[in-house]
Amino acid sequence: MKTLSLKNLRKTYFDPYAGSQITAVHDVSLDVEQGEFVSVVGPSGCGKTTILNMIAGFIPYTGGEILIDGNLVKGPGPDRGVVFQSFALFPWKTVLENVGFGPKMRGVPKDERDRIAREYLTLAGLSHAADRYPNELSGGMQQRVGVVRALANNPAVLLMDEPFASVDAQTRMTLQEELTRIWQERKPTVIFITHDVAEAVFLANRVVVLSKGRVLDQIKVDLPRPRIWDELIEDDNFKRLSAQVLQMVRSA
Amino acid sequence: MNIALKFWSGYVRTTDRWPIIATIVPFIPVVVIWSIVANSGLFPRAFFPAPSDVVRAFITLIYKGVLPDYLQDSLVRLLFGAVIGVALGIPLGILIGSSRLAHRICWPVLLFFQAIGDIAWLPILLIWFGFGLTTMTFVIVYTVLFPIVLSTVLGVQSVHRDLSRAAQSLGASPMRVLWEATLPGALPNIITGLRNGLGYGWRALIAVEIIVGTSGIGFMMFDARRAGSTVEILLGMIVLGTLWYIVDAWILAPIERATGQRWGLVTPS
Repeated sequence: MKTLSLKNLRKTYFDPYAGSQITAVHDVSLDVEQGEFVSVVGPSGCGKTTILNMIAGFIPYTGGEILIDGNLVKGPGPDRGVVFQSFALFPWKTVLENVGFGPKMRGVPKDERDRIAREYLTLAGLSHAADRYPNELSGGMQQRVGVVRALANNPAVLLMDEPFASVDAQTRMTLQEELTRIWQERKPTVIFITHDVAEAVFLANRVVVLSKGRVLDQIKVDLPRPRIWDELIEDDNFKRLSAQVLQMVRSA
Repeated sequence: MNIALKFWSGYVRTTDRWPIIATIVPFIPVVVIWSIVANSGLFPRAFFPAPSDVVRAFITLIYKGVLPDYLQDSLVRLLFGAVIGVALGIPLGILIGSSRLAHRICWPVLLFFQAIGDIAWLPILLIWFGFGLTTMTFVIVYTVLFPIVLSTVLGVQSVHRDLSRAAQSLGASPMRVLWEATLPGALPNIITGLRNGLGYGWRALIAVEIIVGTSGIGFMMFDARRAGSTVEILLGMIVLGTLWYIVDAWILAPIERATGQRWGLVTPS
C-alpha cells in the first residue's frame, strides 16, 4: 500500500530581485510503501529540503500532487511527523511534555499522554530524563527526544531533515544505529533527507538520488538488519552500494 | 594580600546568604561623601541637607501619613497605566511581529509616535482632558506601550521558525501555535519590554505629577520646592530610586529567572 505518493511535483517561486521565476523542483515523482525507509540524497541546492518542506506542508507546491494515504496535502498536519535539524524542542517544556505534545493537541487526557510519552522515552532509552528541560540535555539526547516526539503522534510518515547533521561524529553513528533499531521495532514510514551518502545507505531500504530538482536514480538497499557500524564498515555490499551512490551524487 | 583575599571571600559568602547587603554596600561611599560635604559647612544646611535631615523628614512624613498616601497614589496610577499598556501592547506586538502586512503598515507609524516623547503630549492633553487622572493615565499608557510593543515584535520575530513548524506538524491549530510556541518564545523579550516600559512609565509619572498632580511623589517634590524644603525634595528622589529597585529586584528579576533563564533562552548575569 502506498503511504506517500508524489506526482510530478513542482516548485517555482518568483524572485522579485531577479524579476523572474526560479524553479527549485522541476518534476519529481515518487511512491513510498508503508513501512519503507527511504533516504533522499543529493548535493546542496538539489531541492531535497524543499521537497520535504512541501510534504510537511510548510511551503505550498506550485504543480503536481502530494498524497498521504490517498489524501491531498494542503498544509501541515499531524499525519506527517517532522524531525528537524535544529531539534526544535520546546525549551519551556520538559522532555515528557515535549513528547506528549502531539497527543495533547489531539485532546488526549494528561494521564494517558504521560503514559504514551513515557513509553516512547523508554524506546529511546531516555526514561531518566523525563523531567528535565531540553537545554539540560546533550545534542544527541535532544534529537532522540525529537525523534520520539514525532513518533508518539503515530504519523503516517516520519519526515527527517538532516536530523543528525549537527551532532558529533561518534554520537551520529550511535543515533543512526538506534534509529534503525527503532524502525525495526515500530516500522514507521520514513523519508530521510541527508547529504551524507554512507548515512543514507546505512539507514534505508531505498536511496533516492536527486539532482537539480529531478530524481536522478534510485537504488535498493537489501543489506541485512539489524545494521551495526562495526560490521557494515567492513561489509563488501555496503561498500559497493555506497560507492555506487557516491558516484551518482558526484555526477549529479 | 592574604587578608584582603580573606575579606573578599568572607564578603562573597555573606552576600550570598544575605543579598540585600550586596545592594546596600555600594551606597555606603555615596552616603559618606554626601554626609561629609553637607557637614563641611560649604553650603547652608537648608540648601544642602545632610542624610540625617532626610531620615528625620522621612520619619516625620511617615508619621503624618503623607508619604504612604502619596506613594500609594503614585503606585496605583502606575499600575493602572501599566495594565492598560500591557493589555494593548502585547496583542499589538504579536500582530505586528507575526504579520508582514501589519508590520509594513504599523511600523512607520509606531516609530513616528515613539519619537514624540510622553511629555510632548502634555500641552494638547491638558487642553483636551484638563488636569486629572485621564491625562496622567494617557501619558503613562503611552510611555509604557512603546517599549512593550517593540520588544514583543522583536520577541515574536526571534522565535525560531522550526518551533512553530514543529507545533503545527504535531497538530496544533494557529491559536495553539501562538499559545504554545510563539508566546513562550517571545516571553524573555516581552519581560525586557515590560521592565523598560515600567521604568520609563515611573519616570513619566513623576514628571506628570509635577505638572498636573494634586498628590503623589512627584507632587510632593514640587510642592516642597514651593516651600523651599530641600529635605523633602531629596527624600522624594531617594524614594523613587529605592522603590524602582524593589520593583525590579523583587518582582521583575525573579520572573526572568523563572522563565527565560530556566529554559536556557537567556544567560544569567
